[in-house]
Amino acid sequence: MGIYPPSLEKLIEQLSRLPGIGQKSATRVALYVLRSDRDLAEGLAASLLEVKEKIRFCSTCHNLTDDDPCAICRDGRRANGSICVVEGPGDQLALEASGIFKGRYHVLNGVLSPLDGIGPEDLTISHLLRRLEPEGIEEVILATNPTTAGQATASFLAGLLSERHPRITVTRIALGIPMGGDLKYMDQMTIEYALRTRLPVTP
Amino acid sequence: MTLHSSSAIIMRTWEFGESDLMVSFFTPKGGCLKGVAKGARKSRVRFANCLDLLCFTRLEYEQKKEDGLYFLHSGILIHAFPGLRADFSSLSLASYMIELTEILFPVGVAAERMFDLLQGALSALDEEKQIDSFRILFEAKAMTLGGYGIDLSRCCVCGRTYQGEGRALFRRGKGGIACLKCGQESERSPGLGPATVNALNAIQSTSWDTSQALGLSASMIREIKPVLKHHIEYRIGQRLKSAEFLSG
Repeated sequence: MGIYPPSLEKLIEQLSRLPGIGQKSATRVALYVLRSDRDLAEGLAASLLEVKEKIRFCSTCHNLTDDDPCAICRDGRRANGSICVVEGPGDQLALEASGIFKGRYHVLNGVLSPLDGIGPEDLTISHLLRRLEPEGIEEVILATNPTTAGQATASFLAGLLSERHPRITVTRIALGIPMGGDLKYMDQMTIEYALRTRLPVTP
Repeated sequence: MTLHSSSAIIMRTWEFGESDLMVSFFTPKGGCLKGVAKGARKSRVRFANCLDLLCFTRLEYEQKKEDGLYFLHSGILIHAFPGLRADFSSLSLASYMIELTEILFPVGVAAERMFDLLQGALSALDEEKQIDSFRILFEAKAMTLGGYGIDLSRCCVCGRTYQGEGRALFRRGKGGIACLKCGQESERSPGLGPATVNALNAIQSTSWDTSQALGLSASMIREIKPVLKHHIEYRIGQRLKSAEFLSG
């Protein structure tokens, strides 16, 4: 038997099942909810149920949405012939927040990871290939993360696209020294990429 | 607690908490170890690009508790094997090598020669895309280092010394070869020519570099491949996840 009343123990147990929340954090959150107005608990419970009921994957880009197709896929102004391929919804949000990219997205929902048994068929690659012609895509931007798995996924996609759609331009987001970075702390691979992909400076 | 500094190959990583990483890494003196890299997903200074899968790094770590978990202080990337990132079949084979190493050398089993083998194999795969040949070399050597070398010296049924006369067949239950008087070639008991037996013997007993120089012919690769497949599946008792992405 726990030190708290059973209903509170149950809430702590449920909260501690969430990623990044241990027993102590769960207890803190549970006690905060207990001390707060009833509105907070009701709003939280309603939101949890609402996302589970409403949020689904967009049948076109596979991003999370509550309307299918999602707002970006419905927006005719975004059909500019370019599509940006990302690993997950979080990556799409980061790119969208920058406000630079005005085309459409395709979310792979993962990366190739043979160690975990994840291969090309476990990602949304076949859906991506089916989108290219109907949507008149001229450029595919590969924006997977520069990790081993992310880069292997980008290389795999580049090979596949050049084989099946040789007329489509395939580009990769730039890799190198980040804004505000310090060369002293960069690893050799990042410096190598940065030097290899250096750009001419125009005054 | 003692602070260790060692070269290591990153085998797996898992996100842990808000900004930490749980890392499984293989070292020459300590074998496969697990540790927590605090703040590794936010701080790019202490662990600049060195905790990515399959990276060859130098890590500083100490034992956190008696439970075998380590605390990673910092790391420097030595080599990232970019060739493995550029090709899915190379990544699949490298992942297979990692998975086989994890099974043969579980947490805490020291294996300096296994570390050299893994590093040598990843370096070779980084430079050349000889998937079938490198797979065979690695499998035969790793199994030998793990104590599961194939006995090629004598017939495992009648005990007669094998002197390279005629074909032999592989008996997975015995982990060795048998002469044709003691059995017949079949799908479960694949046959090996005398030159292939010699080559397999050399692979099991020499270094990675020497084995690479052997130059296995296509027919040798065809003969050795099913033998090692049966041998590994029988000894390990499972099919590795990454094997799904390798042909054959």
